[in-house]
Amino acid sequence: MAQVLPTGLPSTRGRRARAVAFRVLMLGALAFVVGPALWLVVGVVGRALPGWRWNVLTTLSQGTSGGLANAVVGTLVLMAGVLILAGTTGVLTGIYLSEFAQGGRGVTVVRVAIDVLAGFPSIVLGYVGYVALCVGLGWGFSLLPALMILSFMVVPYIAKATEAALHQVPTSYREGAEALGMPGGHALRRVVVRTALPGIVTGLLIALSIAGGETAPLLYTAGVTNNLPTWSLLHHPIAYLTYYVWTDWNQPTAAAHVVSYDASLILVVMVLAMLVVARLIVSRTQRHAESAT
Amino acid sequence: MDEVTRRQVSDAQLASVLHNLDPDRDRPADVIVAEHLSVGFAGQSVLRDVSVALPRGTVTAIIGPTGSGKSTFLRTLNRMNDRVRGFERQGDVHLDGESIWSPGQDLLAVRRRVGMLFQRPNPFPMSIRDNVVAGVRAHGIARGKQLDVVAEMRLREVGLWDAVKDRLHGSPYRLSGGQQQLLCLARALAVGPEVLLLDEPTSALDPLSTEAVESLFRTLTPALTLLVVTHNLGQARRLSDATMLFYDGQLAEHGSTAQVFEQPRDARTARYVQGLVG
Repeated sequence: MAQVLPTGLPSTRGRRARAVAFRVLMLGALAFVVGPALWLVVGVVGRALPGWRWNVLTTLSQGTSGGLANAVVGTLVLMAGVLILAGTTGVLTGIYLSEFAQGGRGVTVVRVAIDVLAGFPSIVLGYVGYVALCVGLGWGFSLLPALMILSFMVVPYIAKATEAALHQVPTSYREGAEALGMPGGHALRRVVVRTALPGIVTGLLIALSIAGGETAPLLYTAGVTNNLPTWSLLHHPIAYLTYYVWTDWNQPTAAAHVVSYDASLILVVMVLAMLVVARLIVSRTQRHAESAT
Repeated sequence: MDEVTRRQVSDAQLASVLHNLDPDRDRPADVIVAEHLSVGFAGQSVLRDVSVALPRGTVTAIIGPTGSGKSTFLRTLNRMNDRVRGFERQGDVHLDGESIWSPGQDLLAVRRRVGMLFQRPNPFPMSIRDNVVAGVRAHGIARGKQLDVVAEMRLREVGLWDAVKDRLHGSPYRLSGGQQQLLCLARALAVGPEVLLLDEPTSALDPLSTEAVESLFRTLTPALTLLVVTHNLGQARRLSDATMLFYDGQLAEHGSTAQVFEQPRDARTARYVQGLVG
């Protein structure tokens, strides 16, 4: 009668200790993520700012000196191209896999292809692009092969992020749309994809960051030039920022190092700006979302 | 002279005038007729040989234990089960005399005519006004400025207008659960259905919201025909003209609500309505 509680329950002290241990682990993980990010930003900004001249944005490169206008525009063109090419392909693939695929061999092939593509070393993809497109098809170092290789690289990220985001859309939204007799495409656009947009945008962001930050596949496909990009897709090399980060860093002169820092800073700022724009888009479209309240 | 004219209108003429004014004239008296309907999923039988006719403009309650096939029956009527994996059926369901599965029948039109309200309010992640007109837009019933008119009319109809008129472009999720359900009702009414399927529409609501939603349901007939799945026997009694009791996939009893509750013919019904089984 006296012993009501069953024996063998974990003691309060043990539970507290585990709670503290867990908290420490989580804070450690947080520091592991936030620390390097801060270090990177502070390091890049701290080194680039003292020697910063605004005219790097407006003057063309002259080998290891001069400005970076050609590379800035080139990187922007590459990112825009990837957004169009890989963005549409990836999002549509994700929508197909989530909404239309019924299973079967075709779907398995698509999934395996995505996994293979995602696991491919970028430099190998670049080399394939060089051999098959630049040399094989005679396109030379130019925009189209660079875009294609970058897109092959990032399509898996976009497709997977899209598929995962669509899987998260509550069944009740789909059923509600169905019960109203909404045509499938209408429901998909107005209700389903809109709800999944934050996840899809995250996938696109990762893809764009990769496109902006890649070097190896571009060395093989884009070439480099001191000139601004032209409107031609073929036969004209295109400059990009990561090339200067690496090449100028390996030069002996302090002037070249400054250009390297400048290129890094511009890249970091571009990525941050992209994050802000993406957040704005998301918060604009999600102002009526269930999670927003 | 006036009186003479008035007297000359015979009962037959009056009847014919009234008949011509009736929007449902020349339609079958029973809006939904199920004939020997059996439904299963991947070989597992859920509904067996259900035959029932639902008169236009009435409220029918569907009661029965969990897993008895009530919701499956309801969701078959607007073909929500068609895409469920392994769905198989025998028998037929007629809407206004035409099979809902007949080749000439447009699935989207069937769903527009047979609306549905779910157990949990499920507003879409768009503004309150856009929620009301979501179906109207999809069916191209109205557009542009007309949508505002439709939204106001339907929100007034469900008694939500005064509560939301200043935040039509706000999020629906800031409304209370009862208000969200009314919003979903407005959305369902906006496409002009003939039949409304209600799947435990108040089970997620508090008693006051339930009362508001219930009293609204009563104003919808005879323009609409309602089918309400409910676990709340009191609600079935308050709301419905007729009651169907499902038991183990079969229609155990169907009759006027008074008869089913007071003089049940089936022993299982008697036990169920007395609260002896749940």
